[in-house]
Amino acid sequence: MRPLHLVVAIACAAVAQLGAAAVQNTSAGLQERDFLTRVRRLTVEGRRAGEGYYSPDGKRMVFQSERDPANPWYQIYTLDLTSGDVKRISPGIGKTTCAYFRPNSDQILFSSTHLDPKSKQLQDDELAFRASGQQRRYSWDYDPEMDIFALSEKTGSLTRLTTARGYDAESAYSPDGQWIVFTSMRDAYNRQLNATEKAALERDPSLFAEIYIMKADGSGQKRLTAEWGYDGGPFFTHDGTRIVWRHFDESGLYADIWTMKLDGTDQRQVTTFGSMSWSPFAHPSGEYFIFSSNKLGFENFELFIVDTAGTKEPVRVTYTDGFDSLPVFSPDGTQLSWTSTRGGGSEGQIFLAQWNHQKALEALRNAPPRTMNVRK
Amino acid sequence: MKRALVLATLLGLAPALYAQAPAAVASRTKTHVTTLASDAFEGRLSGSAGEQRASDYIISELQRVGAKPLPGQDGYRVPFEFTAGSRDGGSWVRLGGRVMQRFEQRADIQALSFSDNADVSDAPVVFAGYGIVVPDSQGFAYDSYATLDVKDKVVLVLRYFPEDAEAKTKGILSRYSDLRYKAMAARQHGARAILIVAGPNSPNAGEIVPMSFDTALAGSGIAAASISGAVADAMFATFGDPGKTLKAAQTALDDANPHAAGFEMPNVTVTIHTDVVREKKTGHNILAYLPASSGTTGVQKPWIGIGAHYDHLGRGEVGNSLAEKGDIGKVHHGADDNASGTSAVLALAESLASQPRKRNLLFQFWSGEELGLVGSSAYVAHPAVPLDQMAAYLNFDMVGRMQDNKLSVQATGSSPVWSRLVEQANISAGFDLQVQPDPYQPTDVASFNQASVPCINFFTGTHVDYHKPTDTADKINFEDLDRIVDFAAAIVKRLGDTPEAPTFTKVEQKTDTSGRAGVRIFTGTIPDYSTDVKGLLLSGVIGGGPAEQAGLQKGDVIVEIAGQTITNIYDYTYALDVLKIGQAAKVVYLRNGERRETMLTPAARK
Ligand SMILES: [Zn+2]
Ligand SMILES: [Zn+2]
Repeated sequence: MRPLHLVVAIACAAVAQLGAAAVQNTSAGLQERDFLTRVRRLTVEGRRAGEGYYSPDGKRMVFQSERDPANPWYQIYTLDLTSGDVKRISPGIGKTTCAYFRPNSDQILFSSTHLDPKSKQLQDDELAFRASGQQRRYSWDYDPEMDIFALSEKTGSLTRLTTARGYDAESAYSPDGQWIVFTSMRDAYNRQLNATEKAALERDPSLFAEIYIMKADGSGQKRLTAEWGYDGGPFFTHDGTRIVWRHFDESGLYADIWTMKLDGTDQRQVTTFGSMSWSPFAHPSGEYFIFSSNKLGFENFELFIVDTAGTKEPVRVTYTDGFDSLPVFSPDGTQLSWTSTRGGGSEGQIFLAQWNHQKALEALRNAPPRTMNVRK
Repeated sequence: MKRALVLATLLGLAPALYAQAPAAVASRTKTHVTTLASDAFEGRLSGSAGEQRASDYIISELQRVGAKPLPGQDGYRVPFEFTAGSRDGGSWVRLGGRVMQRFEQRADIQALSFSDNADVSDAPVVFAGYGIVVPDSQGFAYDSYATLDVKDKVVLVLRYFPEDAEAKTKGILSRYSDLRYKAMAARQHGARAILIVAGPNSPNAGEIVPMSFDTALAGSGIAAASISGAVADAMFATFGDPGKTLKAAQTALDDANPHAAGFEMPNVTVTIHTDVVREKKTGHNILAYLPASSGTTGVQKPWIGIGAHYDHLGRGEVGNSLAEKGDIGKVHHGADDNASGTSAVLALAESLASQPRKRNLLFQFWSGEELGLVGSSAYVAHPAVPLDQMAAYLNFDMVGRMQDNKLSVQATGSSPVWSRLVEQANISAGFDLQVQPDPYQPTDVASFNQASVPCINFFTGTHVDYHKPTDTADKINFEDLDRIVDFAAAIVKRLGDTPEAPTFTKVEQKTDTSGRAGVRIFTGTIPDYSTDVKGLLLSGVIGGGPAEQAGLQKGDVIVEIAGQTITNIYDYTYALDVLKIGQAAKVVYLRNGERRETMLTPAARK
């Protein structure tokens, strides 16, 4: 899972007026159909699905879904975009999240807790809890047993890439398949915390989340960010020269999009959008990022695009109530896939649409210069 | 589509919503729709010549593609009897005792549509308040009969429910104030007849209840009639006490105090004659099948049903016509409802006929749907193929008006198989699917859900021409209708090729709609039934209606009315029950995700 302060944040009434009060018409006269056509729904089965990422040839997708009757949490599935065949590729035990195809390889990475000896018990307890008719509010618990694994589709073997205690997830390969950028909360466990930090860890472990990079075999793990606050959801840009990610402030209510070089230098803030802006993904043209923000209403996440240098105000892309987030472009840049609640109910499913790149460029050209939104 | 909810009548004027798609070069559905929705078929009213003509067409098409009558059946048609309409055949009431007065004008007395035809002579009368009995299970004690002995007497009760009760109480009481429910309560307490009067504090004060459309073949076991305020006043006059009037009696009950009781009316007796004339007609379902290509050994439940209702509203003489004033009495073409679904099934039969299959395909065309799922209910009561041999049933009702690639699949909660099949088939079909698990849909799929058959319904949403003569073939989106046929064919193919039968899941009904009083409030909103947004999405508002005056418009999502949170259409109908006519209520809604408020003043519905 790449986001997920959401639930914590929504519970906090103090900021409830943030979105509606801050409505700013950054995209006068445009509508969803200017950017998206032939919207269609990719996933139906199960309680929820999300984080669909294309294979490098664009013919398949890997995603997470709660659809295994024997496991109450996300498991990882591949979807053949021609036949519609769906196959579970994760172990079926414990929690999993954030899969990604490795270019030039038969590997798929994802994060999983299946090695945790408590996994099976926790899973059965949760199934029993749900069978009793009760429901928890959705929350993501940043399980410290979560580690990153690479699965070989040919042999079925699973290689463990991280071992540090603390949540390791939100990972993606570089375009050449040689590097992995990821998010880790290991900083909360690999040293002696002072009293303030201990209290913070109790309250919200994601404050310790930082961006790391490693080789595709798990070697050479290196920390790239240092700021307090949830750094997460990193991806490489399509030319492989930079990393785009989102940085939350300490309150966990505001986030913006940032980029940096692969060694962590030259960190640049792309948005100052005065809202929760996250899940950035680069268009293959290298011209812009797409991301999700609750700029227009605290529980109403919409997709926006912004030029890679962040010289302009973001341009709104989706115009549908509810949750629209976790966007990705197809490798050829002609399609957009994202997670949305637009199909009904409160749980997200994966959607896909044709993407109008020319319109996006035009809208970005016409966008007003970026303003520095002051936080209330 | 039969909108069993009274909400259907909320539909009305709205800006044109449909986007017309260019017709495909060789549409597989266009000829069917155009033919069935043409003037010659006269709106295909169940039991009419138009129905006959439509069934002739369907049967000739079935013959053309090689679908055969079921073994042991005498042809393709399966007749069923139903009540096509009812009228009062001369009911009257005579007051005896201190007054002698006879009333026989229809403005003074009229039998209720579900009344027994009966004679009650010189029976004593008990005023039983609102005549409401709330079941113990509701945790709210209210019983109009608690202190009364009505055995072998006639009860006089008020229409509706206590007018000044607080919102929550009204919400409960309104559910048990349906006239049928009141009649049942009176009968269970031993009353010989029930007389209904709309009290002076209520909407439609003193007026007779119009004869409602009712397809029941017989009465409900009690004489039941509606009387005017004048008749009730004449009965109250026998008290000879100016303080004891119908108005005073109603006012004493209107705060819903559960201890306020009715009373005997000692100085009056009544003699009642009720006479409901029910016109019986015969409708026809059509059944045909394509046998499995190589026997069905080793295949569980070797049948798949594929169906649609082919009847519609005729000229709007019975049922739920929503014709505008100038259009009343014109042919209701029903191109979308449901020539579209009928054509989809015919096109499916044609395309599946040439493919190998492991299960028998049963094609089912229902009549009487618009009158209350009468044809499909009759079928499941006497199925031609045993229901436990049915692997699944697919239904199509209003599939010809696709907009923006949006297709609703409904009743998917009836089996875990649907989400998997739908997901897979949609990868190539590519619809923007709205998935509604609820199988209690106001169309024939409900009959199969009731019969524990895994079932699914396809629906492209409601529109401004719904149940009007203007639902014509030129407005059908044939290109997307053909895509729906392909989508369904892929689902049938996969269903048919899997030897194991899908399991049925019983979904609990969200709300008990059986005992509802119905919506008597008019807000002028047109709900969008095709989506599952949190709240009530409006597909439009009726011109000049309260909603339009309140500034509401298409696309708004109502999330709160008069302090009650609205998460779905059921919440909305209950919230409407507790609004007061003429009294402004706060409405909270979302427009483009932004939360707004307005005041809406509901009007009365007749
Ligand atoms: Zn219909
Ligand atoms: Zn209808």
